[in-house]
Amino acid sequence: MNKLKVGIPRALHFYRYFPFWKKILEEMDVEIVLSPLTNKKIVEKGVQQGFGELCIPMKIYYGHVLNLITNHQDLDFIFVPRYIAEVKDAYFCPKFLSLPDVIKILPNIPKILNFEVNVKEFPISYSAVELGKQLGLSRSRSLEAYNRAKNYYNQYLSFLKEGAPVNYALRLVNRNIPFKLPKQKTQNDIRLLLLGHGYNLFDTFINLDFQKKLSDRQVDVLTIENMPESVFKTPVIVNNKLRNYWRHEEEIMQAIRYFLTEGRNEIDGVIFLISFACGPDSLISELIMRDMKVVGLPYLAIIMDEHSGEAGMLTRIESFVDMIKRKKKKIELKFQQEKSKIKV
Amino acid sequence: MRATFPRMGTSWVAFKTLIENLGVEVVLPEPANRELVKFGVKHSPEFVCFPFKPTLGELKSALDKGADTIIMAIDCGPCRFGFYASVQERILRDAGYDKFRLIPLDQADLLNFQWVQTLFKISGKSSFSLYPKFVKSVLYFLKKAKYLEDIQTAEGIFRAYERNQGDTTKIVNSLLHKLDETNTNKGLREFRSVIKNDFEHLDIDKTRKPLKVGLAGEIYISLEPYVNLDIRRKLGEMGVEIYQCLSLWDWIAHKFHLNYHRKWLEHLAKPYMPMDIGGECVWVIGQYIDNAKAGFDGFVHSYPFTCMPEVTARTIITNKLKGIYDLPIIYFSFDEQSGIEGFRTRLEAFVDLMRGRRTKKKNETIKSSIHSNNNYGSHFYQECLKLVQQS
Repeated sequence: MNKLKVGIPRALHFYRYFPFWKKILEEMDVEIVLSPLTNKKIVEKGVQQGFGELCIPMKIYYGHVLNLITNHQDLDFIFVPRYIAEVKDAYFCPKFLSLPDVIKILPNIPKILNFEVNVKEFPISYSAVELGKQLGLSRSRSLEAYNRAKNYYNQYLSFLKEGAPVNYALRLVNRNIPFKLPKQKTQNDIRLLLLGHGYNLFDTFINLDFQKKLSDRQVDVLTIENMPESVFKTPVIVNNKLRNYWRHEEEIMQAIRYFLTEGRNEIDGVIFLISFACGPDSLISELIMRDMKVVGLPYLAIIMDEHSGEAGMLTRIESFVDMIKRKKKKIELKFQQEKSKIKV
Repeated sequence: MRATFPRMGTSWVAFKTLIENLGVEVVLPEPANRELVKFGVKHSPEFVCFPFKPTLGELKSALDKGADTIIMAIDCGPCRFGFYASVQERILRDAGYDKFRLIPLDQADLLNFQWVQTLFKISGKSSFSLYPKFVKSVLYFLKKAKYLEDIQTAEGIFRAYERNQGDTTKIVNSLLHKLDETNTNKGLREFRSVIKNDFEHLDIDKTRKPLKVGLAGEIYISLEPYVNLDIRRKLGEMGVEIYQCLSLWDWIAHKFHLNYHRKWLEHLAKPYMPMDIGGECVWVIGQYIDNAKAGFDGFVHSYPFTCMPEVTARTIITNKLKGIYDLPIIYFSFDEQSGIEGFRTRLEAFVDLMRGRRTKKKNETIKSSIHSNNNYGSHFYQECLKLVQQS
């Protein structure tokens, strides 16, 4: 019997959950078709489909879906998960909540394989059983698949915590290679924290290969995924009143809180990549900016959309890195002067 | 203690009663205007949704007038509104206003009665001797909220029929004033007849057959006339009858899980949007279907620029529902850049389009129109329609 074919668009939550999806779907005996890396054509298609006010990651999602439909006409399903709540008291952005509803009304769409995660109402294992039902699997079989996928995903997460770059790890997952850390490069003396959603940071087309530009300038980059788990344990309370209720933003705020307090000397600056019209980030970035001013950490917010020009971004990064270098030199100079004074 | 809160269109009448009856002085902010929005734009994050900016300006103006307590509603997500109070507090403090206190009013689910604690906190006392006062203030608040909705409903209908342009606006303003002054049980009980009476004396031309348009969208934008460029008045003066069920009362009733109209809309929207994703997304979709089935001539959807839930609603309506229900729809996304002339041109074009459609349809058979459908809308909506026909 032929395996069922399921298409996965390489956008949005792909950069966060792909190892989990891959494992659970493979355990459910399904053939996975991935859309290619984001390219100009995909972005163009997506921009045509979505109207102006949508954020660029959503448009790219449209593009990937359309690409899958045109290139693979024999798809049985297209995998569009609905992530509502992954932990008890945090949502995702409203656009994730309505993702299958927005996709299923596109023309010529094959059946949608829905995977609804809503921990507020039911555990994830239940979602896995529902997923299995759509593929015609028994309850015990889908639970088994879920457990294996969960283990695998935990391995993947701990691999990231050891310091593996996300794109590298995703490549290993995609090629079914066991996890192994890449060769250690020499450490640079500038370390930046790179904030933002996975789909902005790791989609190398839309952010114009941002991380490479940084590493070309001898800058080490740290992302939230590489940070130890202890940082993410206590929830963030904004202004002593409001408990933050967005999952991604919660992680960003927790990371920032760590670097504002204990980890102040571990990094030299923060760069926040925001996609234009991103709702949650617009408020979070404001709070972070105000915190940064108090502590005195260099902070750069880069807003990107489908029109981002390479030269402009390069200039901004260069000047930011130069500024940090000069600041470091200044501090060092001061330090040496004081040292020499003591000798005299 | 001098308390303040954002106005949100005409809703300030109800909020004022709620807080004044607790024995707290109220400082009303200035209505949103250019200066206030300018202040908001200067200090807010660049692309936060628009209601953030005028409300920030309003709060600032109230603080300038001497208020020392801000009461602001918060929510539990997933849309951006829940963050307003915290971020605005931070911004105001950074802008140099440091002697105020912000009391968040949690409106995530009014049935958990958290707001009782909040109201006690506002009043500053928590003894049970306050109890009668407390019940009174909440009852008055609910009643006034309901009357505000009634005024809005009547305004939408009568403006399309008025002979002298501007009469309805005058009546509405005087009614708001009267409602604000009315602070007795008896007066409030009879206020509906006051509304009816005032509108009965309006000079109207009942031979007109105005277009019927449904109005929906984000709640702040829909209620605040400065922000939505007074869309209801402009449409009314072009001879369009407006059906808008969105109001403070509507929202409060929904939060008490008693709004069966909204439940009906959710039911209609279910195949396209199975859950509440914040904002008014589900109900906009529901109302679009509802109005289309009732034979409306058009639909106006207004929302703040880049509002996450409303943008989703727009996507679903343009991509799917428009093809099924064939109800003309126009979208207005408002922010501080919205220009009045472009807005008016679009609105006029839309009204012309609806007129053309109607004359074209007249030659065919009109399948279902509101005139034949006597059960559409709320009870008061029907009463207003009767009033028009009787006079």
